[in-house]
Order: sequence, then C-alpha cells, then structure tokens
Amino acid sequence: MLGKLDWSAIPFDQPIPLIAGAVVLVGILAVLAWVVVKGHLPYLWHEWITSVDHKRIGVMYILLASVMLLRGGSDAIMMRIQQAVAYQSQGYLPPEHYNQIFSAHGTIMIFFVAMPFVIGLMNLIVPLQLGVRDVAFPTLNSVGFWLTATGALLVNLSLVIGEFARTGWLAFPPLSELSYSPGVGVDYYAWSLQISGVGTLVAGINLVTTVLKLRTKGMNYLRMPMFCWTTLASNLLIVAAFPILTATLAMLLLDRYLGFHFFTNEAGGNVMMFMNLIWAWGHPEVYILVLPAFGIFSEVVSTFSGKALFGYRSMVLATMAICVISFMVWLHHFFTMGAGPDVNAIFGIASMIIAIPTGVKIYNWLFTMYGGRIRFATPMLWSIGFMVTFIIGGLTGVLVAVPPADFMLHNSMFLVAHFHNVIIGGVLFGAFAGFEYWFPKAFGFRLDERWGKLAFWFTFFGFYVTFIPLYVAGMLGMTRRMQHYDVAAWRPWMLVAAVGMAVLTIGVICQIMQIVVSIRNREALRDRTGDPWDGRSLEWATSSPPPVFNFAFNPDVRGEDAYWDMKAHAKQQSHEHDAPEYHDIEMPRNSPTGFVCAFFATIMGFALIWHIWWMVVLGGIGAFATFVVFAWRDHDEYVIPAEEVAAIDRVNLAERRDLVSMAGTV
Amino acid sequence: MSDQTHMLAGHDLAPGDEEQHSVGARILGYVVGLALALLLTATSFFIAGTDLVWQPSIPVALIVLAIAQMGVHLVFFLHITTGPDNTNNVLALAFGLLVVFLVVGGTVWIMSHLNANMPPMDQIMPMRR
Ligand code: HEM
Ligand SMILES: [Cu+2]
Repeated sequence: MLGKLDWSAIPFDQPIPLIAGAVVLVGILAVLAWVVVKGHLPYLWHEWITSVDHKRIGVMYILLASVMLLRGGSDAIMMRIQQAVAYQSQGYLPPEHYNQIFSAHGTIMIFFVAMPFVIGLMNLIVPLQLGVRDVAFPTLNSVGFWLTATGALLVNLSLVIGEFARTGWLAFPPLSELSYSPGVGVDYYAWSLQISGVGTLVAGINLVTTVLKLRTKGMNYLRMPMFCWTTLASNLLIVAAFPILTATLAMLLLDRYLGFHFFTNEAGGNVMMFMNLIWAWGHPEVYILVLPAFGIFSEVVSTFSGKALFGYRSMVLATMAICVISFMVWLHHFFTMGAGPDVNAIFGIASMIIAIPTGVKIYNWLFTMYGGRIRFATPMLWSIGFMVTFIIGGLTGVLVAVPPADFMLHNSMFLVAHFHNVIIGGVLFGAFAGFEYWFPKAFGFRLDERWGKLAFWFTFFGFYVTFIPLYVAGMLGMTRRMQHYDVAAWRPWMLVAAVGMAVLTIGVICQIMQIVVSIRNREALRDRTGDPWDGRSLEWATSSPPPVFNFAFNPDVRGEDAYWDMKAHAKQQSHEHDAPEYHDIEMPRNSPTGFVCAFFATIMGFALIWHIWWMVVLGGIGAFATFVVFAWRDHDEYVIPAEEVAAIDRVNLAERRDLVSMAGTV
Repeated sequence: MSDQTHMLAGHDLAPGDEEQHSVGARILGYVVGLALALLLTATSFFIAGTDLVWQPSIPVALIVLAIAQMGVHLVFFLHITTGPDNTNNVLALAFGLLVVFLVVGGTVWIMSHLNANMPPMDQIMPMRR
C-alpha cells in the first residue's frame, strides 16, 4: 500500500535532523496559522500563488533562494565545525550523516539557491529592461517556478522522511547505483532534480523567447542592456544543456528502478559515460549561473560610475563567445579519468581560452570605472568585491585546467576552494549586488545602506578567511569530503576556516538585519521617483514598484542606455510627456495552473521515491488533467481600462516631473 | 541585427505563422513534403538491400538520404526558410546543431580514448594472474 514507506523512515535515533525538521515544521505551521487567522489567505492566493506577473514570480524565486540559502548555509556551518573538531577523532557527525550533509549542501546551493536567485532576478528585471509588459509565456513561467519549489520541498522532506543521497552533488555511479546505495537517498536526489529540471527548462524557454520576441520599439539587439544579453546567453545554455542532465538522470533512474545497465559495472554498462554526460551539462551549468551575474555587474558598474558601459560591443561578443566555448571544455572535470594526453591537452587549452573573454569583461568593467564619478553604494561594493575575488578564482581555475597540475589537485581541498571562489565571489556576490540594486524597484523602498555595507564587509572578509585556508590544505594533500583525518598539518587551516565561517555567518545576520531595519523604516526609505540610483536602463523609467502593466506606454528607444537618453531629453525640454492619451491594456489572467501542477508533481515525486505506484498514477493523472484544463481555457486575458491606466500613471508622472526639475537645479 | 529601428518583434514570426497563403496552397505544401519524405524513405530501404550499386557506397548513400530527409522535414513541416523573417529560427537551428555536434562528437572522441593510459592488453593479461 505504501511501498517502501514505514515508520523506520523517520530517523528517531538522529536528533539533529529531527529537531531541525520539527523546528522548520513548527515555523511553517506558525506562518500558515498567522496567514489564515489574519485573513491573508485570499490575498496570498490571488496576488502571489496564482500570479502570472513576471515581477511577482521573480520575487517568489528570490524568496525561495533566500530560504534555501539559510538551509544550505546551516549545512556548511555543520561541515566546517565537523572538520575543525574531527582531527584524530570522529567529530560529532557520523560518516553516513556527514555524507548526506555535503551532498545536500551542494545540491541545494546549486539547484535551489544559485539557480532560483539568478532566474528570479532575470524574471523580475528583463521585461522591464526590454520595455515590455510581460514575458512570452506567463503561465508557463508560473509552472516553472512552482516545479522548482517542488524540487526544493522534496529535498527538504528527505531530512525527516527517509534520507538524502550520500553520493555528492552529482551522484556518481557506481556509488549511486542500487547495489551501493540501496536506500531512497539517491531517489530523492534524482526525482527532485528531474522535477525542478523541467521547471528550469521551462523558465529558460520563456526567457529566451522573451528576449528574442518581445522588445519595445527601437530596442534592437545592440541596444539591449548588458543584463538582457547575458540573460539570453544563459538561457540559451539552459535550453541546450538541461536536457542532457535530464537524460543522464533518467538513465540512472532506469538503472535503479528497472534493472537497466547504463552505468553499472556489469552487463556492458559504462560508469565513465555518466561522468562524461553529467559534465557535458555541468560545465555549461556554471556559466548559466555566472553569466547573469556578469550582466548584473555590468549594470551596476555603469550606473554607479555614471558612465556608459565601456566596450559594450566587445562585452556582447565576449558573452556569446563564453556561451559557445562553455560547451567545449567539459572534460576538464575528469582529466584524471585517463583519456590520455591528446584529449586532455585539447580540453585543457579550450578551458584556458574561456578565460580570455572573461578577462575582456574584467577590463571593460575597470575601464567603465576609470574616469567615472564612482558612488560606493552597497551594490557597487559587491561588484568591486566580486572583481577582486573572481580574478583569484579564475586564476586558480586556469591552474586546475592544466592537466598535469590537475592530477595533483583534482578532488583536493584546492578544488573546493576554486569553485567556491568563483561561485561565491561570482554568482552569490552578483545575486547580492542585484538584490541590493533592484530591491527598491521591486518593493518601492530602498534598503538600509549601513547594514548593507556591514553585511558586505563581513561576507567579503569572512569569505577569504574561510576559503584561502582550503587552498593551503589542498596543497598539503587534503582531499575533499573528509569526515575525519589524522594529519596534524591540516588542523590549523581547518580551525581558521571555521573562524571564517563564523565571520560569514555574521555577514548573513547583517543581511537579515538590513531587511528587517529597512522594512521598519520603509516610509523614510520610500522611493517615490522610481529611479533611486540615477539609473540608465528602462526598468528605472517606471514607478517603484511598477504597475502590473509595467509601462503605460511602450517606451520608444533611440539608443543604448535608453532611460539615460530620455532623462537628458526631458531635462532639455523640462517636461517628460505632453498630456498623453491612454489606451486600454490587456494583461494575462492569473492562473492556479502552476501551483496545482506542482502539487500533483510533488505527490508523484514522493510516490516515485517510495515506490507507491497507485499514488504515482494519481499524481500523474492530476498533473496531466491540470494541463488539459489549462489548454482548453476560454479567456486568458483581462482588460485594464484606459482611465485606470491614466490614474496610475499620472501619479508616477507627477513624481517624476519633480525629479527632473530638481535635477535641473542641481 | 542591423540598426533597424522598427519593431523587430513584428518581423520575426514563429514557424507556421508567417505565410497567410490559402488553405489549398498550404495543403499542397504538406502533400509535396509528404511525397518527398516517402520517396526518400523508400529509396533508403531500397538502397540498403540492393546489389545494383557499388557496395561500400551504400552507407554513404544512406547518410546523404538521411540528411535530405531532415532537410525535407525542416522545410515542409517545420517551415524553416531563409527569408528575413526567419532569422531567429535559422539561428536557433544552427545553435542546436552546433551543440549536438560538440556534445556527440566530443563524447565519441573522449570515450574512444579512455583506455589511453592503460598498458596494452598483452601486458595486462599476464598481470591478472
Ligand atoms: C577561468 C575560468 C575557469 C576555469 C579555467 C575553470 C576550470 C576548472 C577545472 C579544470 C575544474 C576541475 C578541477 C578538478 O576537478 O580537478 C573546475 C571545477 C569546478 N569549477 Fe571551474 N573553472 C573556471 C571558472 C568557473 C566558474 C565561473 C564557475 C562557477 C560559476 C566554476 C565552477 C566550478 C565548479 C562547481 C567546479 C567543481 C565541481 C565538482 O567537482 O564538484 N568554475 N573548474
Ligand atoms: Cu568546468
């Protein structure tokens, strides 16, 4: 009846996950109770859960990422403490538990923190920057988000029901095959990634189409803000690479569920094919993450230097070059698998070549700053911090891309330091920069600068104190994923890293404080003009937060830095618009399709993990029925009458006029 | 990607959306496509089993016919054309082909080299005892 599921799945003998799970459960129930009692449920349902507004979906993605960052961060703290104490002892985490933690940490950080954070920012901002009212497939977009949330939910469920994979974040066979991992851990891993993978693919298709098809008048390709370009490149990579991940995991699942032999040692299976395929997705994936971050830095650096981006066209070229070359280097993740010098050399050289367009970008940012009037606001601090940190990470990347060096460094703590150096220093700093930069746009008030700067400095130094020691430990021969060790020389570095983790934690607390304090002072921090940073692209041309329809009129773009131009013109003519004539606007209706679909997908995923076949069928039919109902819908749009548009827009225009006249007097 | 200032979105249509030909003309297109596809399929089956041509040329002929088949599908069923309204579709196709080529080609190359660091078989076999 319930497949493999019974009471032994609840880890009563392990207090840590049980207590953590209980605390989270109580937290969720408390929030739910508060929502219901206060009567916020209808609001939540109509304005958020069923929303197909790209801005709302973007915010929900970022919220998901932030919550999961706390979960992944707790894992990180636990691992750092374990390695600090587990010198010639077992530490406090038994091996099977430690293995689950590092696997969950990696999986969560990549798939449920980094991915939703950047996808959220792209959703929130790209349509605004393109000057359009919506994305190409609004309901599909909502489906994508909720499927991602399903994946995150399943991963967290494994904390209290059953177990998570102990195989690392990429579940290499043969360890991940049934014979070595008979439990449900790998199934939790694979099914959550399959489901959220569909969500990611859908998000990718939506954003590619949006950039290619929906641009306002005059917004041709070479006038798009840099962030739109990197969005295009990153989502092209999603569309091209995620199917590889899905297919690879599907083969692993066939091995596990139906006795296939794709990656087994017996019956003609080939384990090495898994490494090959997973990295053919895995390397593009790191660029899927970092390209949007590059876009964010481009926007931030040019805004806070008060200058147009230096070398815009070379930046476009570098972005698209990275997009293509990122598909030519994947073997550098398994130089040591033995493909021999010919193959290794070619892939090693290709890996180093990818550093060239990246270098071009760094110089472009530097030259953008050069001679500019730089304002060191929080987003700018994250950007400068990124440039310093990412260069180090990139250099160590080139180092491990030298095959003979990699034979020494592969799977050592040096590698761990490298990828944290690029992922934290690149993707996370980028996400934070984007968060600080666009928060006023999303919510209508600025974030507290004092706490923001504190958060930056603690995170910045905390990062170095945590990860530079790992480079050293790697050089001293320490391999990754060690539950305990006996080498005295490694101990001091692990202790320093633990201290660094504490500093990083203070950074996170400052970030939380920043949000709390800003919400408290929101009236004082209110952004009335919609343009708090003196911005250059079109997202600043509308109010903060923007109305559902983003723009009362689709802006007419005449060059790069569209909004900067408009402001310059408005200043000359001392008014923004003559009394304009408003029109009705059609917007897509909200739809529960995404939420309902994900609800059934959750049921189906859970049932697949526990082999509860009747429930699998139930979930499958439910998800399909939802899709059919949506496909046969009658009307999917509603009209906002011209008067309402006018009423909303006039308020914004009045505020803006003050801004422009004030700017004229300064 | 020239400096055109008009709305690009209006000029780049999804496959199938572009021609507002009469139903008759469109049906004709599909019928021609179907006929060509069937012809190519039949030819492949015929070539595979025949001894009318020089035997080593058969695989080559099959590859050529397969590529022609893809072309027919793209043109008649997926409506990929070279017209200016089709740039995105052609570019998407090119990008897709490039990625497939890189991944499949790379995989074959890598997988065929994985024993490069192993000693030759005649040295391994004695070691196994
Ligand atoms: C200059 C560009 C870069 C080069 C040449 C480079 C090179 C490498 C190489 C050779 C490895 C494998 C080392 C080993 O396993 O022994 C590696 C691992 C890794 N890199 Fe990079 N990298 C670069 C940039 C990046 C960026 C931008 C990211 C992410 C945003 C990234 C994320 C990772 C990750 C996650 C791994 C380790 C995955 C694992 O084994 O679990 N790298 N890099
Ligand atoms: Cu890589």
